[in-house]
Amino acid sequence: MSSAETGALPERPSGLRLRRIVWHWRHDPKRELWIAWWTMVIFYQLFGLLFFVVTRTQPPPEPSWEPARVVQWFDENRYGLLIGFAFVFIISGMTSIMNALIAYSMRRMSVSRAFAYSYLVIYALSTLPGMLLLAITLTVGAMRPDRDPELVRWIYDFAFMTFDGTMGVFLVGSLVWMVAILLDKNRVFPKWFAYLNLCNALTEVVVAPAWIFKSGVFAWNGVITWWIDVAVFVTYTIVFITLLRRMILREDFGTGPLPELSPDQALASSGLMKAAR
Amino acid sequence: MTHLESTQHLPNGVQMEAAPRETAAPARFVPGQPDMWAFVFFEALLFTSYFTVYMVCRTRSPDLFLQSQAHLDLRVGALNTIFLLASSWSVARCVQAARERSFRAARTNAFLTLFFGFAFGVSKVLEWATKIEQGLTFTTNEFFSFYYFLTAIHFLHVLIGFVVLGIAVYQISSPARRSQEIIETCATYWHTVDFLWVVIFALLYVMR
Repeated sequence: MSSAETGALPERPSGLRLRRIVWHWRHDPKRELWIAWWTMVIFYQLFGLLFFVVTRTQPPPEPSWEPARVVQWFDENRYGLLIGFAFVFIISGMTSIMNALIAYSMRRMSVSRAFAYSYLVIYALSTLPGMLLLAITLTVGAMRPDRDPELVRWIYDFAFMTFDGTMGVFLVGSLVWMVAILLDKNRVFPKWFAYLNLCNALTEVVVAPAWIFKSGVFAWNGVITWWIDVAVFVTYTIVFITLLRRMILREDFGTGPLPELSPDQALASSGLMKAAR
Repeated sequence: MTHLESTQHLPNGVQMEAAPRETAAPARFVPGQPDMWAFVFFEALLFTSYFTVYMVCRTRSPDLFLQSQAHLDLRVGALNTIFLLASSWSVARCVQAARERSFRAARTNAFLTLFFGFAFGVSKVLEWATKIEQGLTFTTNEFFSFYYFLTAIHFLHVLIGFVVLGIAVYQISSPARRSQEIIETCATYWHTVDFLWVVIFALLYVMR
């Protein structure tokens, strides 16, 4: 949609919140972008709730447990695992909408479309080690408590090693985004965010020792391989969600440099956001 | 760098303007892109957290760390440090030469930086090979886990640094490019690599 089209919108009502929401739903040219952005926000809220609270799989339990202790862990968390991962399977499709928004940011840049396509493919793949394999394997463990404890421990190792130890896809995805931002002339994102991508990518390398160690700072629940990495990832996620919101606010549906928001526009957009809520 | 400083007079009287993006930019307070300094800040925070974890573990097992540290050759660590300090010196000369629009000298110094970085990399790989031959590996004990982890993650930064220096050489090589800002940004990255190594050297090799 062109800027001219967006300028011909009917006047936004200033009365009831419901009327404003209806107006945005019917006329806001950025409606789909906001839906994608809110999907991202809701997904990460649910992700945190389901993995940290309901299933209690994060922070990860001890990698050094003997089979009997692993079976006990499955027994203690059985209903949390089953209910939590049922919701994880339902929300997993939301990742495609989030990835589409990030790919959209790269399509808005002055760089080749190959960046957006690469990112989409990489992050479609990353849903497996980043979420689904853990959910599937631990659900299997919770659904079959009568199996040989050695097999249950094998499933436990498989689940957490794939979740915490396989970050190559995320690493390359971050680098793709980084290079796109550095090459971009449309100023979609600030360059420091490209360097934050590099920082995030480097912490993805650090998880590799989790495959070797069963205890200590390099184990899958270690200070270096888990806690520091999660701190960086949470910071990175908050930053890119904030920058994507700003990108949508600045979007003019053109092809040249993305305009900066004037203070008045920022204020108006902020009001628009509130109305959308 | 101000607009005035970025406008240079060549010996043959031709006036050369810096890239338009730079001439329009406001006066800068740091060399290169301020964004790269944000990266320096992120990395300093990240490595500080690694160093803090190392220090906590060291405090818990001081004897193990001291005995293991004795297996490291301080001379090799010092040689590594000299290589990287020399590379920082040459990259600083590269920036200075580029500021003076002496691009031949800037290019020579950029290659010199690459050479010192390569020498560091070779000496580091040889040191790792020697340690592995002695049976001192990543899983030998906690000290050597940290030794391989810190030196390897730093080595990864050095490898990225080669790409960054390649960008600096690419900028210097053609009159159509030569963005002083990008050259300084590349140098800032390389100095960060050097700075991190000095702390790693102090922690792993020197501190008793």
